[in-house]
Amino acid sequence: MSASRLTRRRRRAGVLLSLPAVVLVAALLGVPIVQAIYYSMTSWNGLTSTWIGPSTYSTALTDPIFWRVIENNALLLLCIPFALGIPLAIAALLNEHVRGWRFFRSVYFLPTAVSWVVVGMVALQFFAASGSLNRLLADVGFGSSATDVLAGSHSALVALAITFVWSMLGTNTIIFLTGMATLDPTLIEAARVDGLGRGQIFFRVTLPLLTRFIQFAFVITVISAFSALFSLIFVMTGGGPGLGTTTLEFFVYQTGFAQGQFGTGALYGIILFVIMIFVGLVQLRLIRPADEEGS
Amino acid sequence: MTAAPVTPAPPAAPAPQRPPRLSARAHKRLTAGPVFVGMIVVAIVMLYPFYYLLDNAFRNQSQYDLQHGHSTAGWTQLFQNLPVGSELLNSTIVCAAAILIILVVSTSSGFAFAKLRYRGSGTVFLLVVAALMVPLQSIIIPEYVNMAKFHLISSYTGAVLVYAALGTPFATFLMATYYRGISDELIEAAVMDGLSYERTFLQIALPLSLPAIATVTVLQFIQIWDDLLVGLLFLPTGDRTITVGLAALSSGRTTSIPVLMAGSLISALPAIVVYLIFQRHLVKGLTLGMGK
Repeated sequence: MSASRLTRRRRRAGVLLSLPAVVLVAALLGVPIVQAIYYSMTSWNGLTSTWIGPSTYSTALTDPIFWRVIENNALLLLCIPFALGIPLAIAALLNEHVRGWRFFRSVYFLPTAVSWVVVGMVALQFFAASGSLNRLLADVGFGSSATDVLAGSHSALVALAITFVWSMLGTNTIIFLTGMATLDPTLIEAARVDGLGRGQIFFRVTLPLLTRFIQFAFVITVISAFSALFSLIFVMTGGGPGLGTTTLEFFVYQTGFAQGQFGTGALYGIILFVIMIFVGLVQLRLIRPADEEGS
Repeated sequence: MTAAPVTPAPPAAPAPQRPPRLSARAHKRLTAGPVFVGMIVVAIVMLYPFYYLLDNAFRNQSQYDLQHGHSTAGWTQLFQNLPVGSELLNSTIVCAAAILIILVVSTSSGFAFAKLRYRGSGTVFLLVVAALMVPLQSIIIPEYVNMAKFHLISSYTGAVLVYAALGTPFATFLMATYYRGISDELIEAAVMDGLSYERTFLQIALPLSLPAIATVTVLQFIQIWDDLLVGLLFLPTGDRTITVGLAALSSGRTTSIPVLMAGSLISALPAIVVYLIFQRHLVKGLTLGMGK
């Protein structure tokens, strides 16, 4: 059989085998994003749409309610240092490989298997006025400071952020542990021989070498904070009190499905998409050098 | 926590007797204790919600209010308020169908992108993987309207298709990464022996990729089992998954807490069991995502 005939057969098989995935992704992810861009410039109730044009964006961007929602997204970002710092410290400890470290790793990663619905359900009881948190405070003598955390818009957002940090802890710890496993132990040993203390070694040797992993965890955490908390918000606060815990992704759902403004909902979805593309581009920039190294 | 300022200063050891630096092993022995205590504290924080679930799922309302005593009243009530059995079955059907589609399209396309390159296949691969960056909320409204138009939201079909589409980009990336590790010579040898490329995929490559298939299955099972948004919008009430049913039950705000805890427990259990058995596959999926 001639080589060119083989090549032709290989290409044909390649097209054939990749077709189902391409069709599925194009039809159910590609087409809707194009539709969303179109419908974001219309007034749309799901059945009939009226073309308005790009001015829908200037209308939306001057709406104070929109900025109130974006403020929640921005405030949520304040928990990122905790969502990264705590797992980094835990990974450093686990990396000491004390007795049972594998067991602890499994325990810390366990929330990854549990749905946001269940996590939200328990968090709701934990932070409730008569919940575990206030009981705990009362037990240690702070009964007078008992508050209904979920009733205040800022404190509810803090409760949401704490729950989020708790849920991300396992994932980020695993990322950092993987990173630490790639480190060359002789570098650490050399630093020790040079007389550096443990803290110095961690901050001056280990941390700089983990940069890529920290950036990866950062991107994963930001993406999760902006686009994976729908269920948690749905169960824990319903977006309230007021707009207190309504982030952009929840606002898309509210606008589209609760208020029936499909066009405006699609528009907020596109803004979310643009934010995600921005985060994704940062990630691409970070990962590409490593890929070139590998191939 | 190893050196809290309040701890009394250690008895001053005669300085000259101490070596200038502790050896690595000696240091490890010294720090093992405090590190272990720290690990336990974190473990308590991570396990507390699970303890809370277990503890309160076996109470009735007044026992819950008092935080004292246990009973199975909550469970009886749960089975009255929520069709637990049929919703567990719905979850299983939806998961199985979506995962089957994901596996079929991601193994075949992953093999094609890795080994059967054609003009533009690199770009096509990038576009498929780039779909990972599309947040579900950005497409959910047109998707819902499309599915309604094609009458796909009155059965499992719509939700299964959406889950399959959402899982495909990462699964394809993972499978392609895996197939790149198989030598070209192996594939070419099979073709020289007279196998078509399609049969080479089915008979040679597919059996070799069982570990990657396991990783995709476990990742997707947990993702789909735990999902709320897609199920909430695309499944008719009678076909709800357990996670959606539970969220709907809780949003009523009238159901007693022990009932919700019992429901949470039963909905979380299958995914936890899968996690405990297959956790290394989950970890592998995550690290492969890092491009390692």
